[in-house]
Amino acid sequence: MSLLPAQTKLANIKTAKPLLGDWLVIIAGTVLVIFLFANLWSFAPATKLLIRQGDKILGTYNLNQIRTFKIHGPLGDSIISIQNGKVRFVSSPCNNQYCVHQGWLKHAGEVVICLPNQLSLELLGSKKNYDTLNY
Amino acid sequence: MRNLITLCVSLLTLCLTSCAREQIYQTQSYVFGTLVDITLVDVPEPRARMLANQVMQDFQGLHNRLHAWQPSDLSKLNAAFKQGKSITISAELKQIIIEATVLSQTSDNLFNPAIGGLIQKWGFQRSEFTPVQPDTKVIKALVEANPQMTDIVLNVNTAYSRNAAVQLDLGGYAKGYALDIAANYLRSQGVKNALINIGGNIIALGKHGDTPWRVGIQDPRGPSAIATVELADGWAIGTSGDYQRYFEVNGKRYCHIIDPRTGEPTQGTEAVTVLLPPQKNIKGSSSEAVLTSAGVLSDVLSKPIFLLTPLQRPAVLQKFSQLYQLQDVMIIDNQHHIFITPTLAKHIHWLDEKNPQQVAILNSISN
Repeated sequence: MSLLPAQTKLANIKTAKPLLGDWLVIIAGTVLVIFLFANLWSFAPATKLLIRQGDKILGTYNLNQIRTFKIHGPLGDSIISIQNGKVRFVSSPCNNQYCVHQGWLKHAGEVVICLPNQLSLELLGSKKNYDTLNY
Repeated sequence: MRNLITLCVSLLTLCLTSCAREQIYQTQSYVFGTLVDITLVDVPEPRARMLANQVMQDFQGLHNRLHAWQPSDLSKLNAAFKQGKSITISAELKQIIIEATVLSQTSDNLFNPAIGGLIQKWGFQRSEFTPVQPDTKVIKALVEANPQMTDIVLNVNTAYSRNAAVQLDLGGYAKGYALDIAANYLRSQGVKNALINIGGNIIALGKHGDTPWRVGIQDPRGPSAIATVELADGWAIGTSGDYQRYFEVNGKRYCHIIDPRTGEPTQGTEAVTVLLPPQKNIKGSSSEAVLTSAGVLSDVLSKPIFLLTPLQRPAVLQKFSQLYQLQDVMIIDNQHHIFITPTLAKHIHWLDEKNPQQVAILNSISN
């Protein structure tokens, strides 16, 4: 008895054109998504590699080179390869090989950690205060 | 409703365009015995690479033609000068000599590219600098021989020198000249935004995205930049310093900037930085300023300021301000005290917060 009128109302709403408020919500939503995408999605190419061994920083390395080298950890030697802007673990003495399977790191902020062998690679972006240097 | 849709679409377009990230192409190479760095913005990659390669090739060509101590057009010219012979020169070299002569006269010969002989005796015409203690008599004789740009006599396509001591070294000119050539070439190819850095001498085209190009100024006694400045479209910056090319003997520093008056490396200054606006070059307005561009001036004008004493500087700063609109100057003396013109003080950005308190304002350039 009381259901019928309600159903008719619902049907009316379904066929109605979107109202001002609907449009505003759609616009606001779209703008928000685009804003978040533009600001949070990192395309920044990395320039430097930071290697940590245990709790200490082993050093920062220029990413703009082709170089393969060994780093010693508690389990043995891990082999790391830098290839013009990207870096990866080539091999590791650890059991599960998560670090090797992670593959290439390319973007600033990316990190790969090999917990068993206590090594981590982190890519740093160029947070320079200037575009070029006068000297 | 239609208005709303239009609004929505235009908002979307606005967002999307602001999302589009600028495309940056950057390349580095060793030319002029130094590092050359070219940055092009919003030029598609294959074309950017082609343009940058062309600029590097132009630089290499200039380097080969203007080299002061390896076989080049310039060293042939120097050999002829020494023998008092007349020699055929290119239109380019003739133009360079004309401009360099004007600049030398403007700076009361403190910028003097004719003292290649002195530079050679001090061992700076080499790729690596080893301590040299030249014979004081030889240096004295070279200073007394008084080589000047005005000793060079130019005819239609030949040149000779009235003074056998004239030996051209364009070390304080060529990088700036190359900057102007590169900037003109890139502009002619439709590049709006670019940054060219030849061994620390920089010229800017357009902007970097929404902001002007930002240049760091090296600390003459430290590993990092002490400050940054913005370079607007067409502006150039150059520094003369005692910290890139020098050697030390018994704790005394001998830098590559030789005072033509004494024949000795100067001691009183660590660095002079100048920022030059694009030049208008209105013919007839001032005969002295004709044909000179910001790049060349950024290379040349720091030298006379470097050589002068603090008391002598106001006059030359005043002159350069009138001739070339030079307003932005920073001088760091050998006690590491920083002096800066009021105009530069307004827009320089110090990277070390304690610097601004130690900086003295040069009240020499009166507008």
